[in-house]
Amino acid sequence: MAKAINLSLRDALTHDENVLIFGEDVGALGGVFRITDGLQKEFGEERVFDTPLAESSIIGIAVGLALRGFRPVPEIQFDGFIYPAFEQIVSHVAKYRNRSGVSMPITIRVPFGGHIGAVEHHSESPEAYFAHTAGLKVVSPSTPADAYALLQAAIDDPDPVIFFEPKARYYLKEEIDTAARVPIGKARVAQEGSGVTVIAYGPTVSIALQAAKTAAAEEISLEVIDLRSLSPLDMDTVMASVRKTHRAVVVHEAPVFCGFGAEVAARISHDGFDLLEAPVARIGGLNVPYPPARYEKLYLPDVDRILQAADAALAYG
Amino acid sequence: MADVVRVVAADDPLRALFSPAGELTAEGRSRLGLDAAALRELYRNMVLIRRADQEALNLQRQGELGLWGQFLGQEAIHVGAMTALRTTDWVFPSYREFGMAMIRGVDPADMLTMFRGLSHGPWDPRKYHFAPLAIPVATQVPHAVGFALGCRLKHSDEVVLSTFGDGATSEGDWHEAMNFAGVFKAPVVFLCQNNGWAISVPLSKQTAGSIADRARGYGFPGIRIDGNDVLGVYAAVTAAADRARQGEGPYLIEAATYRMGAHTSSDDPTRYRTESELEAWNVKDPIARYRAWLEQQGIIDEGTVAAITDAAESAAQAMRARLTAMPTPPPGEAIFGRVYSNPPESFLREREEFESSLEDS
Amino acid sequence: MADQTFRLPDLGEGLTEAQLVAWRVEEGGRVDVNTPLCEVETAKAVVVIPSPWAGTIHKLHARPGESVAVGEPLVTITPAEATQAEATPGTLVGYGPGAPESGIRRKARSAPAAAESSGDVRAAPFVRQLAKDMGVDLAHVTGSGPGGRITRADVEAAASSPAAAASTPTDGERRISVVGIRKAIARQMLRSVSTIPQFTEFAVFDATNLMAAREEGKASGRSMTPLPYFIAAVVKAVRAYPLMNSSWDESRDEIIVKQPINVGIAVNTSQGLLVPVLRGADKLELTAIAEKSAQLVEGARAGTLPPNQMSGGTITVTNVGASGPVETGTPIINPPECCVVAFGAIKPRPMVVQGQVVARSGAWISISVDHRIVDGALATEFLTALVSELESISA
Repeated sequence: MAKAINLSLRDALTHDENVLIFGEDVGALGGVFRITDGLQKEFGEERVFDTPLAESSIIGIAVGLALRGFRPVPEIQFDGFIYPAFEQIVSHVAKYRNRSGVSMPITIRVPFGGHIGAVEHHSESPEAYFAHTAGLKVVSPSTPADAYALLQAAIDDPDPVIFFEPKARYYLKEEIDTAARVPIGKARVAQEGSGVTVIAYGPTVSIALQAAKTAAAEEISLEVIDLRSLSPLDMDTVMASVRKTHRAVVVHEAPVFCGFGAEVAARISHDGFDLLEAPVARIGGLNVPYPPARYEKLYLPDVDRILQAADAALAYG
Repeated sequence: MADVVRVVAADDPLRALFSPAGELTAEGRSRLGLDAAALRELYRNMVLIRRADQEALNLQRQGELGLWGQFLGQEAIHVGAMTALRTTDWVFPSYREFGMAMIRGVDPADMLTMFRGLSHGPWDPRKYHFAPLAIPVATQVPHAVGFALGCRLKHSDEVVLSTFGDGATSEGDWHEAMNFAGVFKAPVVFLCQNNGWAISVPLSKQTAGSIADRARGYGFPGIRIDGNDVLGVYAAVTAAADRARQGEGPYLIEAATYRMGAHTSSDDPTRYRTESELEAWNVKDPIARYRAWLEQQGIIDEGTVAAITDAAESAAQAMRARLTAMPTPPPGEAIFGRVYSNPPESFLREREEFESSLEDS
Repeated sequence: MADQTFRLPDLGEGLTEAQLVAWRVEEGGRVDVNTPLCEVETAKAVVVIPSPWAGTIHKLHARPGESVAVGEPLVTITPAEATQAEATPGTLVGYGPGAPESGIRRKARSAPAAAESSGDVRAAPFVRQLAKDMGVDLAHVTGSGPGGRITRADVEAAASSPAAAASTPTDGERRISVVGIRKAIARQMLRSVSTIPQFTEFAVFDATNLMAAREEGKASGRSMTPLPYFIAAVVKAVRAYPLMNSSWDESRDEIIVKQPINVGIAVNTSQGLLVPVLRGADKLELTAIAEKSAQLVEGARAGTLPPNQMSGGTITVTNVGASGPVETGTPIINPPECCVVAFGAIKPRPMVVQGQVVARSGAWISISVDHRIVDGALATEFLTALVSELESISA
């Protein structure tokens, strides 16, 4: 996936001379995950550059650059470091067009999620804060192919997009077709099934697919939906699935309490009230700060917990 | 036109101790008030913490730690600053001040549990007067200022050390904290460990100006000194702390040094800096330099040097042994135990549910 | 001391593998703690790995240029005497996305906990909507789901009848609460006898040929109970008399003759009488009938059959008196069907063959039939045809 994102950035820089990439260590180093590897060398310091260590201003200058006609693609180095920039994102990036009619074609790239044995502040899932902010679009790919295409769509979009990259999947490999298009606002059925709908995004999609595989051996059929886009949210795909299965489970790494899953669950319960044969379940993190690495597997959703929820949904009656 | 506020020389007792290039003058050195034993102790501490730092890196390469950020090359600052302070003066570190914490008495094996995935904060800040390591850059600086303000409000003569790197001085939090410190005349010694690099971003890309000179804009003095001279650091921090204790307010010390290791064990510095730069700074190694001076002054002999090396080796092995033998604390306590002082019912229920979901519960 | 294997750790927060660049040691060589072992290249950097233990290199597990996954063996060392504290060999902290467990785990997935009963009528939204569509009053349905929840199957099986009124117990009486399947059966049977005018006819058939066919089947490894033979014979008879496979539509005074022959098989279970349905029995060969009917019977007893195997029947067969003295009975039609066929036990009985009383294998058959649809004459013909089918079974 890292290489797919790198390629997507390279193609964006090639096709539009107004695209700029900047942030901490993205230039000479090529990024702490090597996502921007080689880009400064190829496109020069005026297209790909390092900034001082200041997240708030990284986003703040993106606003200014956007006003001046550029298409900024700034990087926030880690999920846990987005908070100084929260003000700029929420107060300005999200609201500038509403205030002035001038669009903010900014794509903010952020590695997010856990499961890499990291120290504090490097495993956060802050997507709900941003999905909750009107004016922003929020997406998260789960595969290298979607990472390429969704980033293209994000950069092309005249509206600001927060692009959450599941860092635990950076080393996932697959063949990609750079001509394939993935629009923002469209989920995909990652695995067809008929018994229970499992809805996931970003890092939990592969876990859900593993659960579906295990379940299949027990003749339990899970349908896995990869949301891809949190805001806008593709409820059509979700509801088509629930219409078929009558049972749903939402899975994310972020804490369940007030997590993004709550929005999905509420929508399903409301729009599909008469379809449900079991309550909609949410699987996610505990309502605690992300724990020290030794405990993260107890905190994060895994195959067993997804299957447990599917079992409960099927046994409900 | 308003009067330009000038920082008066009398207000800046450090200036006289240092040459314009930031080197401790002979006069300054003579006024240190350190006897031979104390001078040897400085050396001993630098060797001890460096050996521990190396061992931590080895442990990371062996899979015993997930991550390690070396402070190699910055020992003079760690030791000089900590020796200058009272043990009751609080320290607000960033994430690289392992050596400082060791000198304060925090067990290094305990500290390493942060990098072994067992804890986010393994010592009680109130016991060691040492705040938790702060990973998001510069976020600790306002904390230091607040604490210092608290000391002033309580009419205590405590001083606070706020330490951070060159990268931190680009963050908004840093500037806000500096400004607050000036306005409230907080008794804080700001110690910038300018090691030249913020991961791969060199100082030249971090700022176009001078770090030390910024203090002036916030209403107090600043100085740039040689951070690889343990005696210079000691002198500067002592003087700045004394000044603060007398109610004169904050001081910014920019200690110039070099990050000899990588940013962390995940980093590859060969991608962005040169061997020759590394070599140029290696020649100015703080420990080698200080040892040479001690030997020249007849304060230390070969036997003592060897004994100190051996002691550091034993300490490192003891740290390794203690760390690798540590049990994993129970998950319920580790994950839920310290979130709230007064946990709500719902929180306790969630903890119970979680604990009963574990094997052998 | 036992050899220790050092596995490649995750050297950089989420790495999955590293390439071995060069060894710094050889097999047989001595190392101390921290002696450099090798250089590896990760996605992030080239890194020197120091030895975690002192001892002798027993085996190097990779060649220069090879890729090693995080968690895979790198080198095996025969430790020197136990001077170092031996705890965990290479605990793999910072273990990368696909690594082994670190000790404490959540319990494995277990069966969902049983729900508690409450006084509320419990039914999922979909089930409620279904009940509404089918005109079923949920207050009168007893749920067979967990905690008394009303399931889709319950609604489908439900008929409308008021619940029995509660009354106070008197001396000598014992009250047994009627819930679940018992209640459903009660409802169905009442509906049957109160809405269908049914009569019963009896016959005895000579099972000699059927038993011979069974023996031949057993000999060639296909052991079957009489049930599949009964079902196959019923199917054949129904083909000749399709009116037996029908339903009286009360609302329109019409007879609905059903096309597929879906044979309900009455099964005695610990929960009561259940009737799983062998759909499309007219399309199945004898062996398929045997297999499927056996599965249905087992499934019904285990309670694992889905709703679509418990409904949609067009004619029912039942066994009366599997053994013992009971020969036959008057079966009650399974509404809204037209006919139920009950088979007695096959056993030796006296028959008159060519003027002599002989002992032959035989069994009683009784059929109950809806008189609105079928008169006695037609019922007799059907029963005669059924007997004929059964007596002419060939292996």
